[in-house]
Parts: sequence; C-alpha cells; structure tokens
Amino acid sequence: MKNNYLGIILFVIKLTLGITFIYASYHKIADPAQFAKIIYGYAIFPELSINILAITIPFVELIAGFSLILGVFPRSALLIINGFLLIFILMIGFNLLRGHEFDCGCFVFSNRPHALSNIYLLIRDFLLLISGIYLLKKTTAS
Amino acid sequence: MTQKDIKGILFLFLFALPTAFFFNWFSPFGIALVGQWEISKGTVNAISKTDSVNSLIEINNPEIIKQIVQKKEKIIIDVRSRDYYDQGHLPSALSFPLIDFDDYIHQLLNSINRQSAILVYCASFECTDSHIFADRLKDLNFNDVKVFSGGFRQWQEMGFEIEKNEK
Repeated sequence: MKNNYLGIILFVIKLTLGITFIYASYHKIADPAQFAKIIYGYAIFPELSINILAITIPFVELIAGFSLILGVFPRSALLIINGFLLIFILMIGFNLLRGHEFDCGCFVFSNRPHALSNIYLLIRDFLLLISGIYLLKKTTAS
Repeated sequence: MTQKDIKGILFLFLFALPTAFFFNWFSPFGIALVGQWEISKGTVNAISKTDSVNSLIEINNPEIIKQIVQKKEKIIIDVRSRDYYDQGHLPSALSFPLIDFDDYIHQLLNSINRQSAILVYCASFECTDSHIFADRLKDLNFNDVKVFSGGFRQWQEMGFEIEKNEK
C-alpha cells in the first residue's frame, strides 16, 4: 500500500515537472524575440550569447520535459531539469539581491517582472527543484 | 551520476540543439543568431523576422532631439500609456498610446498632416513600441517618421525639460 502511494506521488511529480517544462517552452518557442529580451533583462549574459540561448533553451526544456514523461533517459532529463531550475533560482535570486528589476515600460512587452512576481517565481522554482531532487533520488540508475 | 546519465544528457542535447536551430531557421518568428543588444547602436532587439525595428529611422542622439524639441521641427508623439505620459513627457509631445492606436486613429489623422515631420518615442532603448507605431504610420503613407531610440528614460537621464499633466 505504501509503495502504491509512493508510486502515485512519484508519477505526479514526474508529470508536474514534465508538463511545467513543456508548457514553459511553448511561449518561448512561439516568441523567441521576447524571450531574448527577457534574457537581456537579467543583465547577466554576454550580448553575443543572448540570441543563442533564446533559440536553444526552450528546445532543451521541451525535449527534457517529454523525455521525463516518456521515460526516455529519465534520470538524464531530470538532471537537465534540475540544473535549469538551479540556474533559474540563482539568476532570480541574484537579481533580487542586487535590486535589479527590468521594466522596459512597453505595451508589447507583457512579461514585466516585479519583485513580487520574482519572489513567486523563486518559491515555485525552489519547490520544483526539491521535487526534482527527490524524484532523481527515487529514480534508480539501471 | 552514472555514465548512462551523462550519455543521456549528451543525447538529449544533441537532439535538442540542432532541432532548435533548424526550427528557428524556418520559423516565421525566428531570430538572428546575434541580436542588437548595444544601446549605443539604438533600440535593443533580437532582430527577428517579424521585427518592426528599423535602425535607419532612429535618432540616437538626445542633443539632436533636444534641438528638434526646442525648435519645434517635428510633431512629437509619445506612444506610452496615458499614465506614463501624465507623469512626464517631452515638451509639447502629443499622447497617442500604441495600445489605443485603432481607437484614436481618426483623431490622429485629423490632427496630423501626412506630410508632417514626426518624431515618435516610447519608454527606453528596450522598448520597440515607437517602431511599431512608426511602422503603422508608414502604412498610412506618412513619409517623414523618425524614432527617438533612447525614449523618455534617456531624455529624463539627460536632465532635459519635462512636461507633466497635473491631475
């Protein structure tokens, strides 16, 4: 019985992480220019790398999400997902600490971050990362 | 981390990266491999296939803009939201928020001649609303439309005169 519950919990975590990453990649793939501007807004990455990151990150997220759900290299997919979550947490945390907020004041630019939404993102990513680490521990390397 | 994990990571990346570049190449929303992220060169943007940013119509020198404003050489249009406009705008600038473009188009056409020299600005180098607005004016056969790429933020940072609408 206990194993059944554990199985359900692990399945839910797997689905949550996978779907979150697939969903997150969708808007970025649909509008890479806007995603590039968000990356620029973090003011962390070199200018030459911004577009390359905007092009590639969403597809790595998408494929890692599908790979986790479908069980193709699930541990590798989890390692990628956890790695991304850790990077997101560090980036958001770093910008919160130095008080950097990016607001271009544009009508077309809908993702206008504010401290509150950044804190929400930070908490969400932290919870996802904890779940991801737990799932990784429970996913045996065969 | 086992050897299989590492192989899996490599496999997923090797699958994802070419797919990403391939998709970007053929996507109507694709972007260039290197964007324009230097504010010294004007409005920053990813340089996408759907971009309305046209560096040829930009004026990237606030001193020139100051002269234009002082000599009233062009009709100046602020395309930010009305709230931002009320808090502060360039002297004698008209407010035509991009978001209300379709609602105010007749008012705009009544108040501005198509032969008029127009200068459009929005919030900052990071904002492309002024370019989108300029693009729409061009579609309406306005021929002399320029964009102040630094926008209101640069004007403010230069310490130039600002008009406010007191409520």
